[in-house]
Amino acid sequence: MHPYETLKVVQEGNVVTAFLDRPESHNAINMRMVNDLSHLIDAIDEAKDVSVLVLRGGPDVFSCGIDLHEFASHEKRNIYGLQKWEQMCRELERLNKFTVAAVQGECTGGGFQLVLSCDARIAERRAVFCFDEVKLGFLPGMATFRLAKYIGLGRAKSIILTGRRLGAEEALTWGLLDRVCEQVSFEETLTETVNDLLPFHPVALEMARRLLDESFSTTYENYLGHFLAAQYRAINSEPFDRLVARAARQDRLGRVGTARREREK
Amino acid sequence: MIDVQRIESPTRAAFHRPSSGPRILSVGTATPPRKYTQDEVLDVFGETDPKIRGVFRSSHIGSRYLYLPDPIDGRMVEETNQELLAKHRDGALEIGSQAIEEALRPLGLAPYDVDFLCCITTTGFLCPSLSAHLIKKMIFRENVQRIDILGMGCNAAVNGLQAVTAFARANPGKLALMLCVEICSAAYVYNQSMVTGVVNSLFGDGAAAIVIRQDGADTWQRGPIVADFEPHIVSEALMAMRYDVQGSKLSFFLARDIPYEIGANVEKPVNRLLGRHGLKRKDIDHWLVHSGGAKVIDAIEYNVGLTDHDMRHTLGVLKNFGNLSSGSILFSYKELCREGVVREGDLGVAIAMGPGTSIETALLIW
Repeated sequence: MHPYETLKVVQEGNVVTAFLDRPESHNAINMRMVNDLSHLIDAIDEAKDVSVLVLRGGPDVFSCGIDLHEFASHEKRNIYGLQKWEQMCRELERLNKFTVAAVQGECTGGGFQLVLSCDARIAERRAVFCFDEVKLGFLPGMATFRLAKYIGLGRAKSIILTGRRLGAEEALTWGLLDRVCEQVSFEETLTETVNDLLPFHPVALEMARRLLDESFSTTYENYLGHFLAAQYRAINSEPFDRLVARAARQDRLGRVGTARREREK
Repeated sequence: MIDVQRIESPTRAAFHRPSSGPRILSVGTATPPRKYTQDEVLDVFGETDPKIRGVFRSSHIGSRYLYLPDPIDGRMVEETNQELLAKHRDGALEIGSQAIEEALRPLGLAPYDVDFLCCITTTGFLCPSLSAHLIKKMIFRENVQRIDILGMGCNAAVNGLQAVTAFARANPGKLALMLCVEICSAAYVYNQSMVTGVVNSLFGDGAAAIVIRQDGADTWQRGPIVADFEPHIVSEALMAMRYDVQGSKLSFFLARDIPYEIGANVEKPVNRLLGRHGLKRKDIDHWLVHSGGAKVIDAIEYNVGLTDHDMRHTLGVLKNFGNLSSGSILFSYKELCREGVVREGDLGVAIAMGPGTSIETALLIW
């Protein structure tokens, strides 16, 4: 894998794990990290031998959020860097591989948004999630768009407007996380989570995820049109060919078995 | 954060931009004077079949411009084949010349300045061809080079572009004009079947013209360079979209599965077109997709990974004009120009699909 300044990336089999790696600043997300993640996502998008991308932080902090050092202190600040960040989160959300966020320790602001952009989300029991932006006087990016879809408007308001800290257990109860575990069993839980996602059928993943993404935002009739287009593609893809062939084979075996039983009567 | 003026991907940054090439300098469109909502069309035809009424209402079409005869005693009179052919000729000359004028006017040019004329239509047949009629009506030069493209259907604008841009490239400084004009109401057969019901619920009349020239002095503000083409033909589905003969009339047939079949194939030409320029789909700023119908738009969105926002002009043209056949993507192009969001260096992909079964794509560079 390409060496990154702000990420440590390892590949084991078909699983690529990217560790956010700026320990000196609590994995604060700077422009370098946004570009590194964007580059990594591009590489994984093209990789034929990868099925899953796992995002992790350090043992005590996933990320403390957007790095405020990136903003000019005495002049008008532009929006383009944040636009690039949102674009990268969207690329992660729509990556053509499974994505897993595995959180230990603090997960604040931009870090939390990365987690929301992943297909599966797990955390160690000590993990704490929080959007502190509104409390500090700015906005938690497009997390406002994503969070309410996960947990409903009321809870999203409470989290984003009060900036309150959410423990892993509570995040699990609310459906933000799929699994919560003890520190000692973190690696094992992560492996189970990855295995639960496999096998990887790219077309089915991409279509299912897009449809889910639309579920709160379109009418039944429009959604049905999208679903039919997506399903047509899925039922004409290679995994479905195999499924149909297997069903036909079992059917033949079944008939042979029935015939034999009939004869043995 | 640090200033990232243009949010540019590495593939896009590495893309080699041609410094010159045939550019689309302007676009003009025209429609028949009368506009009908779906309910008005149903009423004019006295259509009572709830299934057909349902098809009209779920078509994502608000209104269409059509050349329909006036009902007599509140009833639609059936048009003979001869009347339909005459309607096609007269309509094509009326709105075709309006679209040409609208395309030439902003450039301060007249038909007399045009060196190459390409006329495209599928909804009627005439000999002498439409270009000959237009040359007489609009006073083009007697030595204008010309070509008429007939029977290629909804994808024909991109095929026409192949010819027109080849002329412009070979003759720098010379002016080429392409007209797409479809009088779909001249290819309507009304027999209360579901097949014609679907067709009659979908297509609208309209004309669009573009002016093309290769000239080093023209800049991106004028319009995009048409840089490359990539076709894809699905021969297994040769007859999925076709004309049948019903009595003495041409009746358009659309196979039920065809929107999905196009969806399943559309990635192929798009990947080839972008791939050979080292581009990815996310490097494309503007998508100009033929407004074929709600189902095929859904299928393309899902298979190419486009959003309703990417498809806003495609959906808007479908809603306001119906399926205009060959002129459709040029109507979308006009909407894009009007919006004023295009910037220097932007990339666009045009996708038009039609009989063959054909998917035609083109790469545009501003």
